Amino acid sequence: MSHLSRSEIVDLVEETLPQERAAHLELCAACRDEFETIRAALRDVAAVDVPDPSPLFWEHFQARVRDGVAKTPRSAWDWIRVRGFAPLPAALVAVLVVGFAISSGLMRGRSALVTGPGAPAAGSSTAGPATIDLQDQEISAVLDAGDAEVWAVLTDAAADVGFEDAHAAGMQVYPATIDRAVQNMSPDERNELGRLLQSELKRSMD
Amino acid sequence: MVTRTWQWTAEPGCKVTVTNPTDAELVETCLEGNRDAFGVLVERHQHHVYKLCYRFVGNHEDASDLAQDVFIRAYRGLKNFKGQASLGTWLYRIGVNVCLNRVASKTPKPGPLDALLLNNDARVTSTEESASDALLRGERAGQVRAAIAKLPRKQRATLILRVYHELPHEEIAGILGSSVGAVKANFFHALNNLKKLLQ
Repeated sequence: MSHLSRSEIVDLVEETLPQERAAHLELCAACRDEFETIRAALRDVAAVDVPDPSPLFWEHFQARVRDGVAKTPRSAWDWIRVRGFAPLPAALVAVLVVGFAISSGLMRGRSALVTGPGAPAAGSSTAGPATIDLQDQEISAVLDAGDAEVWAVLTDAAADVGFEDAHAAGMQVYPATIDRAVQNMSPDERNELGRLLQSELKRSMD
Repeated sequence: MVTRTWQWTAEPGCKVTVTNPTDAELVETCLEGNRDAFGVLVERHQHHVYKLCYRFVGNHEDASDLAQDVFIRAYRGLKNFKGQASLGTWLYRIGVNVCLNRVASKTPKPGPLDALLLNNDARVTSTEESASDALLRGERAGQVRAAIAKLPRKQRATLILRVYHELPHEEIAGILGSSVGAVKANFFHALNNLKKLLQ
């Protein structure tokens, strides 16, 4: 009969090894020694317990976790869910597309402005972060508020795209992206977004 | 039927009334934006998570920090919990990762409460056990903890999950991302190495 494998010795210590294999122990001193070593170590380990902290500790611990959780920023996805827009994939993607367009546009706008006529020349010792307030110019450059075609393109593009698809396509949504996008909208844009969300809500309830 | 109210005041006026909800139901409630439900999950699993962390680091301060970290990570990643394993197993998985990362960057050392711990081990005595026996037992416990801390990471994790948390080999394999055979081999080597370290 072959020696017991390590796995079999573990099974033997845990008393799950079939009797016909366990019988090998009676015939083999080497396996018996190995078994005794493992069993003794297990006994030593099992004898050590962790003292229970006091009930006061648990109250304090729960408060710490609660504080930690409260400091955890809500993700953009939570933002949408909490406000009851979970069943609005198309509207959500429309918002994402707007956020994405604004974010990309901001980057393009920033780059264009910094390298424009008023920007420091390349290699200039004064080159550094632009101090111009770009916000208004960038937003208006990216989103032409009254342009119905832009909205049509965005909503059409969003209509058949799910959140996962949008994510897979590389549209990264950072925690403040949507908030920023909405805050930066003009009243007309916000109205239009509200109208889109409401129509999607109605459609999802039909 | 037991009805209980859990107040988790992360958000003013927010209250969860639950009737023995399952972990899955609480997770779902939590994902709907209710942080209070997470408090129930913390209360339900905090002892196991704390003990797991304690086994890795061997002192109360680090264990409580790590356990807090485990729950906050769990909260952040709750939407990734698929429910294929139990929430307890999922928390163990996070706990093992957090603890292994911690012990990799910091050599476990007994904290100021270690002496207290040894005293505590010594205090838990039967009436028949003499003071010297209790002291010896406390010393032995300290030696075993020190020896466990010297084991390679996977062996240590396997030993802790198997002996102290009594997880089946299959579940440990899932947590550690290895096979059942590898778990049993790690368990064997952990005990074998431990015996050598304790001699």
